[in-house]
Amino acid sequence: MSDNRTETGPAEEGATARRGFLQHAATGVMAGGLVAGYGMLAAQAARFLFPTGSRDTAWQFVCTPSELQVGQSLGYVAPSGAKVVVARQGAGEEAGDFIALSSVCPHLGCQVHWEAQNDRFFCPCHNGAFDAAGNPTEGPPATANQPLTRFPLKIENGLLYIEVPLHSVTSQAENRA
Amino acid sequence: MNQIGDWLAERIPVSGVQLHELTNEPVPRHLKRWWFCLGGTPAYLFVVQIFTGILLAFYYQPAPETAYESVRYITEQAAFGWFLRGLHKWGATLMIAAVILHQMRVYFTAAYRRPRELNWVIGMCLLLATLLTGFTGYSLVFEQLSYWGATVAANISDAVPLVGNTAKQLLLAGDAYNARTLSRFYVLHAAVLPATIILLVGVHIALIRLHGVSELPEADADDEQPRHFNFFPDHLLTELSIGLVLMILLSALATILPATMGPRADALTTPEVIKPEWFFYVSFRWLKLFSLTFAVLSTGFILAAMFLWPWIDWALRRLTGWEDISVYIGIVATFLLVGLTVWEAIVAH
Repeated sequence: MSDNRTETGPAEEGATARRGFLQHAATGVMAGGLVAGYGMLAAQAARFLFPTGSRDTAWQFVCTPSELQVGQSLGYVAPSGAKVVVARQGAGEEAGDFIALSSVCPHLGCQVHWEAQNDRFFCPCHNGAFDAAGNPTEGPPATANQPLTRFPLKIENGLLYIEVPLHSVTSQAENRA
Repeated sequence: MNQIGDWLAERIPVSGVQLHELTNEPVPRHLKRWWFCLGGTPAYLFVVQIFTGILLAFYYQPAPETAYESVRYITEQAAFGWFLRGLHKWGATLMIAAVILHQMRVYFTAAYRRPRELNWVIGMCLLLATLLTGFTGYSLVFEQLSYWGATVAANISDAVPLVGNTAKQLLLAGDAYNARTLSRFYVLHAAVLPATIILLVGVHIALIRLHGVSELPEADADDEQPRHFNFFPDHLLTELSIGLVLMILLSALATILPATMGPRADALTTPEVIKPEWFFYVSFRWLKLFSLTFAVLSTGFILAAMFLWPWIDWALRRLTGWEDISVYIGIVATFLLVGLTVWEAIVAH
């Protein structure tokens, strides 16, 4: 159509400019729509892959503070099967007077075990070692000064509570298998 | 017969001559020696992995309750299951070894230099994708090593600044290994990573075809001989011979040293002696030697340097005027790599 025109007046120039603008605007709207649409889908996909839900832990009753004397400890088994040593370090009635050592190595999450002959907790993954109070003595945890992690404790209405995991993926699997 | 030929030719309008033209790139004569043909080896082994992997997927069940038992079924009950699993396991081992050897050949012959820098970067992506596939693969068995390997790897990624925790959450589908973790490893291992590898290999080979195979300066060159030979059939036959040798080797390994099963995963006990697969011995030893932060940051730094090596090499040569500087750096790095691997292999802790 426009190829056949031999002369262009101001009206045609205006129409061409308008057409050009509309073309660009339409392309822009189309591109924007596509980016927004697929972008939204990508965001939904990313959000979908990101896990939701609270951590599987709960506060559990351990004992009354008077059951433990200073320097004494007791073995506590969490619902997940994890064995926890709860010890009393102070004479007070605060949660800070008690400790509950986790057996999870603070380095990379392996399970430490007590080596009676060496009087230490040892992590077989990267040779980390801890004393009886959970302080790091050897390996990467000592370099980075990471003590054994402790389970949160609280005293409520005169009772000692511990926050522990409820499930372990392997013990669950065993129960169902 | 002729009618079928005509029918096909009409529907697929490519002649034999055209096909010959398309595939027949000139191959430099140094590729007559098999150790220069290691690039095709991982590709061949990848096909073996796809074939055996699809078969294993018929029985494998990716959930904590069922995974270990389904692998036991494959290994002990399914007909030829032990052999197919053995092929898959040894195929992975050889594939990783072949990728490393291929990369070393490219490195020591400086084939990554201009204009092939981007193909080196794609090769690095392929190396990482292959290692990740290996890692997610042994995580699927749900033996002790699978569980603790995954836990350690997720916590390593947690130590990466800024994005580490997000990566850990995405990998494990939570703060720690849970009931939804194993299906992620399975999807990564059997869909996401293989698809990525196929795409990357496609681009890798396309770039090789566009640039041509890099020439190698030969000290003992016999200039009477032609400098190039045909891809088809000469080079194809070399690759087929390598494929045959690999199949014999794989079958022998799968039979003599079959894939076994360790104790079932136990989230409450880390075994007294635990090691990852051999290709992670280096990083495992590295983690024992240094603090977590240093080990993670230095690994990231080394990986970044490897990705950027074509440009680092260019800068080093300009700065020092020493053409072979990368070769000597490579020799030191190789000794370090082999040394740390052997060290980890021979000690219990």
